[in-house]
Amino acid sequence: MSPSLTAESGVRTPADVPLGPTLRVVMETFVYDDAIVRKFVCATVVWGLVAFLVGLIVALELVVPSIVNYTTAAGTRPFGFLSFLVGTEFLTFGRLRPLHTNAAIFAFAGNSVFAAVYYSTQRLCKARMWSDVLSRLHFWGWQLIIVCAAVTLPLGFTQGKEYAELEWPIDLLIAVVWLGFFGTNFFMTLARRRERHMYVALWFYIATIVTVTLLHVFNSMAIPAGWLKSYSVYAGVQDAMMQWWYGHNAVAFFLTTPFLGMMYYFMPKAAERPVYSYRLSIVHFWSLIFVYIWAGPHHLHYTALPAWASTLGMLFSIMLWMPSWGGGINGLLTLRGAWHKVTDDPVLKFFVAGVTFYMMSTFEGPMLSIKSVNMLSHYTDWTIAHVHSGALGWNGLMTFGMIYWLSPRLFQARLHSRKLAEWHFWLGTLGILLYVVPIYVAGITQGLMWRAFDQTGNLQFPDFVETVVRLMPFYWSRIVGGTLFLAGAVLMTYNVARTWMARPGTYEEPVQSAPALTPAKFERPKFVSRLTANVEVGHRGDVWLQSFFDGWWHRAWERTPSKFILWAIVAVVSGSVLEVVPMFVIRSNVPSIASVQPYTPLELAGRDIYVAEGCYNCHSQMIRPIWAETKRYGEYSKPGEFVYDHPFQWGSRRIGPDLAREGGQKSNLWHVLHLQDPRQSVEQSIMPAYAHLLEQPLDFDAIQRHVRAQAMIGVPYGEAVKEGKAAAMAREQAETIAADIAKADGPKGLEGKKVVALIAYLQRLGTDISRPPPPSPSPSPPAALAPSSGSRRPS
Amino acid sequence: MSVQSPGPLSSHEYDGIREYDNPTPGWWYAILTATVVFSAVYFVFWHASVAGWSIHDSWEDDQRAEYARIFGAVGQLKPDEASILAQMGNPKFMNIARATFIGNCASCHARDGGGDVGVNLCDESYKNVVKIEDLFRVITDGANGGAMPSWKNRLSDNERVILASYVASLRGTTPARAKAPEGQPIPPWPRPAAPVATPPAPK
Repeated sequence: MSPSLTAESGVRTPADVPLGPTLRVVMETFVYDDAIVRKFVCATVVWGLVAFLVGLIVALELVVPSIVNYTTAAGTRPFGFLSFLVGTEFLTFGRLRPLHTNAAIFAFAGNSVFAAVYYSTQRLCKARMWSDVLSRLHFWGWQLIIVCAAVTLPLGFTQGKEYAELEWPIDLLIAVVWLGFFGTNFFMTLARRRERHMYVALWFYIATIVTVTLLHVFNSMAIPAGWLKSYSVYAGVQDAMMQWWYGHNAVAFFLTTPFLGMMYYFMPKAAERPVYSYRLSIVHFWSLIFVYIWAGPHHLHYTALPAWASTLGMLFSIMLWMPSWGGGINGLLTLRGAWHKVTDDPVLKFFVAGVTFYMMSTFEGPMLSIKSVNMLSHYTDWTIAHVHSGALGWNGLMTFGMIYWLSPRLFQARLHSRKLAEWHFWLGTLGILLYVVPIYVAGITQGLMWRAFDQTGNLQFPDFVETVVRLMPFYWSRIVGGTLFLAGAVLMTYNVARTWMARPGTYEEPVQSAPALTPAKFERPKFVSRLTANVEVGHRGDVWLQSFFDGWWHRAWERTPSKFILWAIVAVVSGSVLEVVPMFVIRSNVPSIASVQPYTPLELAGRDIYVAEGCYNCHSQMIRPIWAETKRYGEYSKPGEFVYDHPFQWGSRRIGPDLAREGGQKSNLWHVLHLQDPRQSVEQSIMPAYAHLLEQPLDFDAIQRHVRAQAMIGVPYGEAVKEGKAAAMAREQAETIAADIAKADGPKGLEGKKVVALIAYLQRLGTDISRPPPPSPSPSPPAALAPSSGSRRPS
Repeated sequence: MSVQSPGPLSSHEYDGIREYDNPTPGWWYAILTATVVFSAVYFVFWHASVAGWSIHDSWEDDQRAEYARIFGAVGQLKPDEASILAQMGNPKFMNIARATFIGNCASCHARDGGGDVGVNLCDESYKNVVKIEDLFRVITDGANGGAMPSWKNRLSDNERVILASYVASLRGTTPARAKAPEGQPIPPWPRPAAPVATPPAPK
């Protein structure tokens, strides 16, 4: 602990002014709050196990259907007992996958970030957290959010937007806990710091807190339609734009920037080496946060999103490569001269591998954002492999390294076993490789199969399930990899628990001391023009350039959190505004189609079921204008088709086929039988069974409320908003569908069941565009919408 | 803390962490600049110049090329008895129609036409078909109140003609699992009037 603010050795930047002899130094004493860090570390360990376990379960759910019906010669079904995994409504892939992603991102990575922030911020600021009460409220509030997620998601309460599934009351709680408790506590600690300058880790924490607040608030805008039901205020193309602005920047500002902050603190600590380059940290920090915010639309290449937005998403992703790598090289080069330590120290092994995975993912990300690469990779497992090399490799390994470094310090006992930590490292790393490598192969395999044509010009694999069956060996390997990764985490849990058991009776709380910050004027360095010619403009320019490249101004910002925060806000808001706002105000981005009408009340109820069951986790609703795709699914999707889709359901992965044009393709009875047990219709299907939809009654009374909520956000429901009208309309349509099913010798008495609503919705999907436009007061519909040209298929 | 590597240390120290004042590597700036320049050129080329084209343009090119390749030589096929019978003998068209069948019809009628939710297409009984051209009509307009959907908007006229031929050719084949006959037995398809018309040129 050095109270000195003066330079000790090396080169001084002009900004550092030694305290003058006349200034009286007031020493203050304080104690760091490590109890809160212990809490967050424990939560990280526990939620990590949960997230990895649920991940393993959902991975299992993709292979189990292929073995449950396996029958031995003796006629027994040895794997039949596993069918509960694909037949229980609360455990289906569609409901558990959001639980897995939320647990991994917000519970595991979130608590890990908080542990890092609470430990390092106090030390970097030479101050205890501003408020112990807020620290505790933050901790318990966040755990409450996670528990709420763990309860509501399997029950099917969801907003239907990836990584933003939690319903509106939980969203409000997140906003309060994140900004009200965490943000306030953090910023007040900055304000009360005893260290003049803010270290680079703190910059990343600032960017994190500011940006996650913005992302969460704007993406989660929804109109409640009940205590646990709401509709996104955005629809279709605009909702997609908001969602991936959020989704991509959740990766950026929840899984990247805080972890870079973590790296900047714990890596030099563990290596006991100075950080490689201060200047690099400045340029890569600002370029990273400015560029990252634009990259979201690369999740929507070739969709109904306007091409200019998609291009911006791609280009900013490419420009993001170096800003991302700046962090990686600053981390790895910090180890210059200390590589021998890596062989001995498991903590450094985790950090080195973690940063390496970071650099691989941040190279791969820009590559996947290139449109022609994305054409192949989009909707495939390639994306899944990519995010897991980031999540397991970067977030996971960095977290483990941090926990092994922190445990002896927090629990004030020697780490129980270094050897087990080494084992964890190798198990984890091997687990990641056994996961991601086969899943890359699976992604590329499926992508190529989808686009393969035979010599006659037909799809080589017209039957979608053929492309699924081919993936099973890779999915098994993923399970092996995931098990190894989980086994490593179990070893860590044991190791940390044993370390905790060896803790002293009472923790030592060393009293720190540091001088209070006194107002000290920042002395701007003076620059003299190096030019000889006597041109005033030239001199000024030269002075300005020298001044800019000297970087003294950044040193000044580091002393003034308010200024720093302001510039961080400018950096992330400018990109957001420039990219998102035109999507809302320029009408040509979403040309309207007269024949596209709101869903009927029953179809809306069916859509709610589609969202609740998480169908979007496996089925896209977006046909790209690619020949192989229109050949398989029909006419490509138009922006105007989604104007009543609150929320949009384009999806991001095709574990099952696209459903954008599902309407009218199959009979109602086929849907009933298929939902009841997909394997009686498609033998090799891996879809869960939805037999419960044939039994559970549809809540007709809720439909009125839902229709009204939709009307409030601008869906022209007309008559249907009148009391009782929506339910009556829904009942009428349900009876027609149920009668049709009964007539075809299907199950009888379905008119009051959920399944008819879902079928009504599925039969509507993608059909509006080929309908004649409704009669309207205008004399003639626009020519482009005449029924004959509604279809662009050759005729 | 020993300092072994070259590079000047800055005066900064935070909780024992120090920073070198190393310059940002030159290659870092070089690549960043290259990506920025590339991006500017790319954006202007594709969105602000006459040279660029859209994915929709490419799709339409594909469509024209594909249509010309398959049907270019035959023009518009007539959905009548003679034409449907004639196409049954055209192996190229039957291959194409088979893929259409697997992609669109197999989910209800089974891959080999043996029937599942939809009727068995391999037996001698038909529900809505008496003459061979009725196959085209049912495919086009649907039947049984939409249980058999209409494919008018999903498949082109020619595609539906050769699909009708393909379905007609399934009659009399032996499926893996045959659904019980539905509807009435109908007379066999007429024989083609003449040997198969000259098959279309490969181009």
